[in-house]
Amino acid sequence: MDVLLQTLLNGAAAGGVYALVALGYTLVFSVLGVINFAQGALFSLGGYLTYLLMGGHISVSGGLPGWGLPIALPFAAALLLAAAGAALLSLLVERLAFAPLRRRNAEPLLSLITSLGAGLVLVNLLQLLMGAEGYAFPAGSLAGLPAVVSLGGARIRSVQVLLLLICAAVVLLLTLWLEGSRGGRALRAVAEDPTTARLLGIDSDAMVRLAFLLSGALAGLGGGLVGVSVSLPGPYFGIGYGLKGLTVLVLGGLGSVPGAIAGGLLMGLAEAMVPSGASGWRDALAFAILFVVLLLRPTGLLGRRLVEKV
Amino acid sequence: MDCRAVQRHAVQRHASDSGRSTDAMIDHGLLVQMLIGALLGISVYLPLMAGQLSLATPAFYAVGGTLAALLSTRWAALGASADGRFPLPSFLLEVLLGGVLAGLLALLVGRLVLRLQGIYLAIATIALVEIVRVAILNLPLAGGAIGIFAIPQPFANAAGYLLPALALLALAAWSCQRLESMPLGRAMAAIRADELAARCMGIDTTATKLSAFVLSAVLAGSTGALAAHFLNTWNARQGSFDVSITTLAFVILGGSRSWLGPVMGGLLLTALPELLRPVGDVRLVLFGLVILLGPVLFPQGLITPALLERIGGFGRQEAQG
Repeated sequence: MDVLLQTLLNGAAAGGVYALVALGYTLVFSVLGVINFAQGALFSLGGYLTYLLMGGHISVSGGLPGWGLPIALPFAAALLLAAAGAALLSLLVERLAFAPLRRRNAEPLLSLITSLGAGLVLVNLLQLLMGAEGYAFPAGSLAGLPAVVSLGGARIRSVQVLLLLICAAVVLLLTLWLEGSRGGRALRAVAEDPTTARLLGIDSDAMVRLAFLLSGALAGLGGGLVGVSVSLPGPYFGIGYGLKGLTVLVLGGLGSVPGAIAGGLLMGLAEAMVPSGASGWRDALAFAILFVVLLLRPTGLLGRRLVEKV
Repeated sequence: MDCRAVQRHAVQRHASDSGRSTDAMIDHGLLVQMLIGALLGISVYLPLMAGQLSLATPAFYAVGGTLAALLSTRWAALGASADGRFPLPSFLLEVLLGGVLAGLLALLVGRLVLRLQGIYLAIATIALVEIVRVAILNLPLAGGAIGIFAIPQPFANAAGYLLPALALLALAAWSCQRLESMPLGRAMAAIRADELAARCMGIDTTATKLSAFVLSAVLAGSTGALAAHFLNTWNARQGSFDVSITTLAFVILGGSRSWLGPVMGGLLLTALPELLRPVGDVRLVLFGLVILLGPVLFPQGLITPALLERIGGFGRQEAQG
């Protein structure tokens, strides 16, 4: 029973992070109809920024060995600032990799390549600065929080609970904002039909930038959270999460917010259920599920059916 | 990144070759690598001729390479020869078998995935690449993360691989060129222009798309078998998501309206990281910048339809509206 609870919580925590990444893709996809492959790199950036803002130092193999920021913020502040940093960089990615193509009405396919190029640049810059090996957050990063809490007889790492709570709060806030606020409705209007939205006086370019800003912040949050709960295994670690997020995105249905959340949880729980004897196969599970779902429901679990028009 | 490991390896290999090489200025290993890049570019281009964005090429490349690596290191009968070198017929047989196995897999998988369209197909094929990668990683025979070492060599040095790689590339390019004037190629072009209209005209779109997918897989599988021998070592990371995007970049930067585009893209983009070696660690940043800025500066790729027109319609795919 305890083991089951532990497994479920681990799975839900991982699933929450997948949902964050997938929501980032969803925001951009719903307004532009394209996938931003730089998302994984922004995830890495979030993790490293959080580390640096908390007073972490660069290791000997980095570009500036031993260098660190002169400040050491508490985790919450560092995480928020890192998310803001990733959000700003996401705007830059939009400016460099998406805006020029949109201005020329180029094939949407091209932005797959340009966004991945932006991601490659970012990840390799991180590698130049920080070095290739991993970083662990200093012990006591979460001051005032016991390392382990006991819940109904199960011993649970409190950082997992925190991670799950933060993910749930972010997802809830984002959903409320999208549904209820003026800005959220404007964003959905652009997602529905950019031309009509423009006729209604909505600045669709500003909405595109807003979508990138938010998706970058989500990726940054995810990176910081994974960093503090596990570690930063190297600048490329975000790419793996980016790919998993992509499968979650499709699993839930492209452009569907509830789909991204459900898909993330499903994926996290499924991975947590993999017995440790078969852990080598865990990385394939997400993709195998995706493969099967796509074949049964080609537009994802909660996606809309596409009607082909002549 | 994985391509780094490949290149580092290739460089080490012909560092040992250079003593025998007559002309130290020509880097035979790099040339073979560039040809492999061009072959993979054509493999991505083939489904695109039918309008299908498939990123499955690395999966088939990995299947072909793993098969060749396993056969040549585990099956003694293949390697029996008097001079201690791996027999050429066995090598060619592996290149053939790599293509056949990849083609069979494509036949099986293609029926399922080709029902998907656009970005869904692209992501499903990325999923296929990841599934194949993890499967090879967990295959007890394939040596796990370390992979298979000491794959026997049919040639004395890297230059020996130039001829088979060139022959394979010539065959692939010729086939693409021939396709243009064949019913299959025309059906592919029709689907690319408008799938629904093509179906209404009586084109069997499923069979046509499947043919393009299988051809792409056969080419990738054969290329993998050749690459496994050339690289001398093979592991699951040879066919990963990075390779999906790099090979797609070959087509996008080269131009996707003629087979000449992916060939140029494959040759140039494979050479680039190597040519940038003098700038050290910054080169991967620069490589990323090229991929980022290339499509912005050349939205139609280097080999544009206008350029093809000027050089006399050479390698041109049917003009499209």
